[in-house]
Amino acid sequence: MNDMIRPEQIAQPPVTAPEPMLVIDHVTKRFETPDGPVVAVDNISLTVGRGEFVSIIGPSGCGKSTLFNLVGGLLSISDGTIRIDGEAINGPHKSIGMVFQEDATFPWRTVIDNVAFPLELQGMAKGERLERARHFVSLVGLHGFEKRYPAELSGGMRQRVSIARTLAAEPKLLLMDEPFAALDEQTRLLLGDKVLQIQQELNQTVLLITHNITEAVQLSDRVLIMTYRPGRTKRIALIELPRPRTSEMLSSDTFGRYVAEVWADLREEASRGMQDAERGSR
Amino acid sequence: MAATGTLTIPQKSKMDAVLVLRIAIIASLLVFWQLLSMSGLLYEDVVPGLPQITAGLYRLLTTTEFYVNLKVTAGEILAASLIGGLTGMIAGLSLGGSYFMERAFERYFYYLGPTPKIIFFPLMIMWFGVGSGSKVAMGAVSCFFPVALAVAAGMRRIPPILIRVGESFRANRWQMLTKVHLPAMREPVVNGFRLGFGVALIGVLLAETKLSNQGLGFLVIQNYQRFDMPGMYALLIAIFVIAVAVNAALGRLSRGGRRR
Repeated sequence: MNDMIRPEQIAQPPVTAPEPMLVIDHVTKRFETPDGPVVAVDNISLTVGRGEFVSIIGPSGCGKSTLFNLVGGLLSISDGTIRIDGEAINGPHKSIGMVFQEDATFPWRTVIDNVAFPLELQGMAKGERLERARHFVSLVGLHGFEKRYPAELSGGMRQRVSIARTLAAEPKLLLMDEPFAALDEQTRLLLGDKVLQIQQELNQTVLLITHNITEAVQLSDRVLIMTYRPGRTKRIALIELPRPRTSEMLSSDTFGRYVAEVWADLREEASRGMQDAERGSR
Repeated sequence: MAATGTLTIPQKSKMDAVLVLRIAIIASLLVFWQLLSMSGLLYEDVVPGLPQITAGLYRLLTTTEFYVNLKVTAGEILAASLIGGLTGMIAGLSLGGSYFMERAFERYFYYLGPTPKIIFFPLMIMWFGVGSGSKVAMGAVSCFFPVALAVAAGMRRIPPILIRVGESFRANRWQMLTKVHLPAMREPVVNGFRLGFGVALIGVLLAETKLSNQGLGFLVIQNYQRFDMPGMYALLIAIFVIAVAVNAALGRLSRGGRRR
């Protein structure tokens, strides 16, 4: 238990993190509604070091998607700051690449043209950008599907196209919002392996938003557990499983213990959320 | 292999059956027409037989008069579609892109859209003269509304996620328009243009039949006044074939380039 819970880490960035790249500094987000302001994210602080894989987990409605949009610069921050490499975020930042939960491929573009999209925006010459796109298509294991349209691919393949497209822009931070949520369990596990492999290969810094405990433990160095409404930091759990990791570790005892511990914290919040939902539907 | 063979054969013969039926409908219509013409129930001058119409068609297609007027009408329709289409597109983009504009103006578009534009023709003559100007104006006004409404609706139907993707990659306004909005609404927009082209054609021809001294609509009325029924039917067939051909070409454009 104690090797995991370090209450002093909640407020301060952990000592273990190598040179912080992303700093979320006392960030609050309020939404104005007809019934008065609603606090979606309440005073969250977190740092992500270079090469680190950090997950944010919480029950539905805890504001984790709001946090995703704040870091991605698609929403404005009410209080506090978010910095990447010391630069404050106010709008989508070139160092941050976003992968969304929904199918976000462009249906009128082939796989290769989807992946080349950010390079096209940068004004890169056609030959160069196609070559680079081809590299990232292969990286996510879609070699041979370059000329296919998204409608001809499975959901898991489309999500890999999205990941490749985001990676093609070579972001310093890969920011993902439940990228596997719409996929079946087996695809989800295999895709998790793929993401781990890529992260290893590129030494990619990743911030993952999820509600899946297994996924969070399988992939992350640290897991931030959020409370239900308003979204606060409940705890930051260190996952000290050896790397490289694969989905084969899922059956190990240590893995099971981490999952149980995260669930113990999450359970209270999730049941609060459920009671809230039941009250609302009454 | 055998399985695919048995699968494709019935489908192919079904396609053939559709084709046969289509030809049969045309053939029976022609036969019916010829019988009606020969029955003497109607004046033979009003319902001329197929040989007379064929002769009329031959006469029409071998005179320069037809081509001169076809060119006039085609130019008018093209100009009307371009003017109406472009202004309609700009109006549609601003309606679809802003909730404020939608609330303020879209209602009027829905009211004016189905209004028969021919009631404005006297105005158009006063403003643009009896020549091609008033015909182009008629066509452009007709074309404007369906294009504007289709573009506005198409813009609203773009999945929000695709716009967020564009924003997350920091696309500028022009890139958003050309690389996200327009391709995402290609189908409704092309269909809107198809509809717009159709009504532009109606507007121009209708205006030509009302008051003009050139164009296919003028030729139709001229043939009617001369009581040259075979010539008139021949013209109707020619116009019909042209309209179908252009529509088919535009339809192909809306489906092409994107596999499903």
